[in-house]
Amino acid sequence: MHNTTIEKSTLGQRLAALSLAALSTVLATATLAADRAREPAEVYRQVCAHCHNLDKAVGPQITMPFPEAAWEARGDYIHTTVREGRAAMPSLRNAKISDTELEGLIDALLRGELADTAAGKE
Amino acid sequence: MSTTQRILPKGVSAASFDAALAKFREILGTDNVFVENEQLAPYTKIMMAGNDADYIPSAALLPTEADQVQAIVAVCNQYKVPIWTISTGKNLGYGSAAPGETGQVILDMHRMNRILDVDPEVCTALIEPGVTYQQLYDYIKEKGYKLWLDPPAPSAIAGPVGNTLDRGVGYTPYGEHFMFQCGMEVVLANGEMVRTGMGGIEKSSSWQVFKWGYGPYIDGLFTQSNYGIVTKMGLWLMPEPPAYRPFLIQYQDPADIEEIVDVLRPLRISQIIPNAVVIVHTLWDAGTHVTRKKYYSGTDSIPREAIERIKEGEGIGEWNVYAALYGTPEQIEVNWKIVEQAFGASGKAKIMYGDEAEQRGGSFDYRAALMKGDMNLQEFGLYNWRGGGGSMWFAPVSQAKGSETKDQTDLAQQILDKYGFDYVAEYIVGWRDMHHVIDLLYNREDSEETQRAHDCFAELIDEFAKRGYGLYRTNTEFMEQVAGTFGEPLRNVHTTLKNALDPNGILSPGKSGIRQ
Ligand SMILES: Cc1cc2nc3c(=O)[nH]c(=O)nc-3n(C[C@H](O)[C@H](O)[C@H](O)COP(=O)(O)OP(=O)(O)OC[C@H]3O[C@@H](n4cnc5c(N)ncnc54)[C@H](O)[C@@H]3O)c2cc1C
Repeated sequence: MHNTTIEKSTLGQRLAALSLAALSTVLATATLAADRAREPAEVYRQVCAHCHNLDKAVGPQITMPFPEAAWEARGDYIHTTVREGRAAMPSLRNAKISDTELEGLIDALLRGELADTAAGKE
Repeated sequence: MSTTQRILPKGVSAASFDAALAKFREILGTDNVFVENEQLAPYTKIMMAGNDADYIPSAALLPTEADQVQAIVAVCNQYKVPIWTISTGKNLGYGSAAPGETGQVILDMHRMNRILDVDPEVCTALIEPGVTYQQLYDYIKEKGYKLWLDPPAPSAIAGPVGNTLDRGVGYTPYGEHFMFQCGMEVVLANGEMVRTGMGGIEKSSSWQVFKWGYGPYIDGLFTQSNYGIVTKMGLWLMPEPPAYRPFLIQYQDPADIEEIVDVLRPLRISQIIPNAVVIVHTLWDAGTHVTRKKYYSGTDSIPREAIERIKEGEGIGEWNVYAALYGTPEQIEVNWKIVEQAFGASGKAKIMYGDEAEQRGGSFDYRAALMKGDMNLQEFGLYNWRGGGGSMWFAPVSQAKGSETKDQTDLAQQILDKYGFDYVAEYIVGWRDMHHVIDLLYNREDSEETQRAHDCFAELIDEFAKRGYGLYRTNTEFMEQVAGTFGEPLRNVHTTLKNALDPNGILSPGKSGIRQ
């Protein structure tokens, strides 16, 4: 859209016009977000690897597999750390790693599926 | 959020806010309007020395289209709801993704993340605010374009739009980001959309190549400001040079900073060294990969004796200059001789590149990566130096003159010493100016230390201003104080513009100290 040529109008009129225009995009928005879920390895490469890869060592190692008995507790811990941050670790919001992506990432981390990536073997 | 502890925008009743939220949901869909604590938690983590309670949003809105932003703004005007705009939201140490004050609604542009155009011939890009450097980097690689980005140190997770709008810097020859920005699309507070520069001309082909357009140039009004919401931005990309030589120059004496700056200045102004060079102090250089407790366990400012041990133990200079040459191999050889001659004259400098510099280990690899626009987050190692997650960038501007640099270094060290903090600092050299960036690192889990860091930062601002030194940018806790140092006439102009462009004061109230 180029310099929108909204004629001089009351704020109310403008509001109504704009809300209508925006409504038409609602559906598209919802599908867009869902379509975009990245694979755990891709999220790890784009966001986590820069600090947590073994050769970086800025943040602790996070890719070692955990025994199944500890998955729930460890999963919660990772979830909270990602969403709320912790000391040096920035918080990462839904807009950066979606809930679906985070779930997948946690699962892959707990199973040790990203261990080779972190060690630079993949 | 439960009703008892519900956070509302300042001056907005619960009923009005509910009505506004309902309209936001109509515009964005329920999933893109966050009001639950758990959803809002990522927007509350701050690193600066402020009270957590002062930086809690009442909601967050996640648009994906510019016309949604227009509609949001209209609702905000109707209900007088203030929004705080972020793009990739990694303004770490400057306020992160938190609002400027409690109650503001976050307008989170991260999901508007389309790369609209990358032109490999004129070397330009047009992107939306949510695009990260990593995303653009991957895109360029995938297309096989020979183009470089210029990321700031948080590279991968930050983005060109947010960084440029806060007038951030990187380390290639395109380091001063606002200088290399070209054309914006902006949603104004009245809901109208404007394209700056050549963008006003329908079908213009020069929007991303000619900055100035016609009539008053207004792009600057949308940086470090609250006059509009940028929904698209153009930027210039550096063509990959045929050859690249990063190098390191170390000096051992604290007083050598004067010589470094005076030797560097003519090389920088004449573009022999074309990139945003850094002159890094021992503690910053060590801080990216060594923890403080390895050398010192006291809680006071780290003493000279320990600094000397770090220099010795880690092979680090008191001052470490990281710079690079770019061009054909022949150009680099010619310029290298000039550099060697200039820095070699006094006999104090140790000049290295290639294997010799790489073997120094430490910071060379990551500096070399950043100076060629690669993604690298090694600098986050600084947060392990003292630990505890507290960080504020104190970043006064200085002119590139050795005497002034010496004065600023002495003043900063004296104030930090008084409050028990370390001089973890570097100078980022522009063309004629320098950003003297000090990372005030402290333990945010300790309330006494946090208060001390707060007082220290406030004193740094005042004492530097008394000597004529102002900050290039600051965190949300100190925006008001810093605005004060630039004087009333400037503030009056900022306020006049605010009143004209945003009479209801709905856009990022308080940004850079600007309100209605
Ligand atoms: C270890 C470390 C090193 C750092 N090194 C550097 C460095 O080298 N250079 C540097 O510049 N910074 C540096 N920073 C600071 C900061 O992290 C970066 O500047 C980062 O790029 C800013 O975050 P962002 O890009 O996500 O921008 P955002 O957080 O999205 O935006 C920054 C600000 O710009 C404004 N803004 C954002 N989007 C819009 C919009 N669409 N319309 C209007 N206004 C908007 C807002 O005021 C916002 O707060 C560093 C931080 C850390 C932790």
